[in-house]
Amino acid sequence: MSGSLLLQSVILGVLLGGLYALLAAGLTLYFGIMRVVMIAHSAFLILAAYLAWWFNRETGIDPLVSLIVTVPLFFVAGLLTQRLLVSRLKPLTLTMMSVLLTFAVALVIEGGLGFIFSGTQRRIPLPYASESLNFFGAQVPVVKLIAFGLAALSLALLFVVLKYTRFGQALRATIQHPEAARLVGINTERVAGYGFGLGLATAAIGGTALSLDATIYPSLHWHWIGPLMAIIVVGGLGSIPGAAIAALVLGVAQSLLQLPLGSTWAQTVFYVALFLTLMFRPQGFFGGRLAQRF
Amino acid sequence: MASIAAIVLSACSGGSEQPEGGGSEDPIVIGISLPLTGDFSEPGKGVERGYEAWRDIVNESGGLLGRQVELKILDDQSNADRVVSDYESLIAQDGVDLVFGPFSTRLVVPSARVAQEYGMLFVEPAGAAAEVFEQGFDNLFYAAPAVADDHYNNLADYLLALPETERPETVAVAAMDDPFAQGTAYGLRDKLEAGGVEVLVDEVYPPNTTDFSTIAAKIAQSDADMVIGGTQYQDAVNLIIALQQLDYQPELAAFSTAPTNPEFAAAIGNATEGILAPTGYSPTSEFPSNVEFVEKYTEMHGNPPAEDEANAYTTGQVVAAAVEAVGCAEQGECQQQLIDWLHDNTVDTVVGPLSWDETGKPNGAHLIQQWIDGEILIVLPEDVKEGDFLFPKPTW
Repeated sequence: MSGSLLLQSVILGVLLGGLYALLAAGLTLYFGIMRVVMIAHSAFLILAAYLAWWFNRETGIDPLVSLIVTVPLFFVAGLLTQRLLVSRLKPLTLTMMSVLLTFAVALVIEGGLGFIFSGTQRRIPLPYASESLNFFGAQVPVVKLIAFGLAALSLALLFVVLKYTRFGQALRATIQHPEAARLVGINTERVAGYGFGLGLATAAIGGTALSLDATIYPSLHWHWIGPLMAIIVVGGLGSIPGAAIAALVLGVAQSLLQLPLGSTWAQTVFYVALFLTLMFRPQGFFGGRLAQRF
Repeated sequence: MASIAAIVLSACSGGSEQPEGGGSEDPIVIGISLPLTGDFSEPGKGVERGYEAWRDIVNESGGLLGRQVELKILDDQSNADRVVSDYESLIAQDGVDLVFGPFSTRLVVPSARVAQEYGMLFVEPAGAAAEVFEQGFDNLFYAAPAVADDHYNNLADYLLALPETERPETVAVAAMDDPFAQGTAYGLRDKLEAGGVEVLVDEVYPPNTTDFSTIAAKIAQSDADMVIGGTQYQDAVNLIIALQQLDYQPELAAFSTAPTNPEFAAAIGNATEGILAPTGYSPTSEFPSNVEFVEKYTEMHGNPPAEDEANAYTTGQVVAAAVEAVGCAEQGECQQQLIDWLHDNTVDTVVGPLSWDETGKPNGAHLIQQWIDGEILIVLPEDVKEGDFLFPKPTW
């Protein structure tokens, strides 16, 4: 195996890992705030990807511009999902029932996308889709670089919001100890709603980033939910830095393992990592430590 | 077992009560299961359109044996279990007169088995992989010019006939883990390898693969003279863009299925120049019935038919030829007569004259098409070409 192929694979793995990190951020937020397993997160990602594609087809303008509309739209959708559906679940069975409830939401989104856009596979015809930059002999695809930049920027913004704003403090307090947060006067229901909105806002950005370099179709979300779940468990449920680090490590591992093992076996890296984590460190690698710090 | 089932069924079904030769006013009902939803829904719908165009043309010209034709189409959701129960219920409960095959090798093999148990003729438009013809079916016929392994025969013959100094010396192969996709790619790979071309990369990827960057990196690093993709639509588009992103410039690039799709050029940003694909059908070919088919289909849908539609239409033509020749179309003894007739005869279709060996494999070859100046043209074989073969291909 040549050094340049190794460098190329590491670069591609890092870029892929960055996208994984953004796609997984919302999932870990929902679980962190309310112990909700949001199966529909990846369906919302595909919905955002479809909106980006549709926006580009109708206007011819770069799909990234659609974020001006989709981010607030998804934030409101998150608020409504939490208020109208999730908040009605009983606290004792919340985690389990949320799996079923959000599974149903995912099916509704998939069915709606199929009905409106048909099952035809779509891809945004970007003028820079095939462009790349040369980095020490390795090629860095421009679309993947944009997706990675978008992921890094969004995650940094999310980090700042959670760390330095009053809302972020309230959210962290709710994550760390919901009862105590309520006692000090935090409206945890409202915080949960905003948290859900924030989670879906990341889905809007993640889906748009995904749409730059992928062919999309309504059932594509089932392909994503498994690896994303594995990432947030390995990273530590509720820890955004944990999810980001796990995403980068697993993205690079997938890319590198593909060289000797081929594509079929490389995809199992997520499930092997999930299995080993649950066996030896069920709280995840950064659960309980970084989760408290953001 | 098959003959007992056929006797019981023909006793139960209304078909046996009709006088041979189709004197009844009742329509001839044809049972079909298609993947109208799920993984194969796009080609499945194409096959449905082809069947419907055939039905309309036949009915407008007086029907089969003077009877109108009715299609009873069920949705198997791209599921192999479902396709089996669909054909069971179409044949045993609904008592359809004839059946047509579904789409994809994965669904053709289990459904052909059901048809064989009931002694039914089974002409199918989309089971091209070698395994279809290794199951011992004697009732199955593939309604296309060639099976997957032979799709690239004209290209292999052309390349291997080139002087050694001009011939590609190395090749990289990436194929989806799917009998059809692998069949097309490996057919060409094996012929080139036997002719002295070195295989530098040989990758297999699962059907749900979305990220092709590392596969593309391996191919780009190998700098093979030629890349062969054993692909369906979505994966071909993703793989080609991933290869372009890494600035890999092969002298030849061949991908099965996708390049003939009407949306292909837009999907890869119109960087199509020189890309090759085998095809069993061209709407511009001048086989007698093709002109009528293209005209009718274009009138119905606003665009000419593609390969899936044409193969479905061909299925109808093959069954119709047997029914008209034998003079019957019902379950029971008639089915064996239809099967025997097809084994002994050649049928003129929109994809050319078709005849079959004892396993149902057609004795033909695919055309090779290439993107030249923004159009996909037939370049091989020489006697039917619409444009000159571009080699080496321009950069993409």
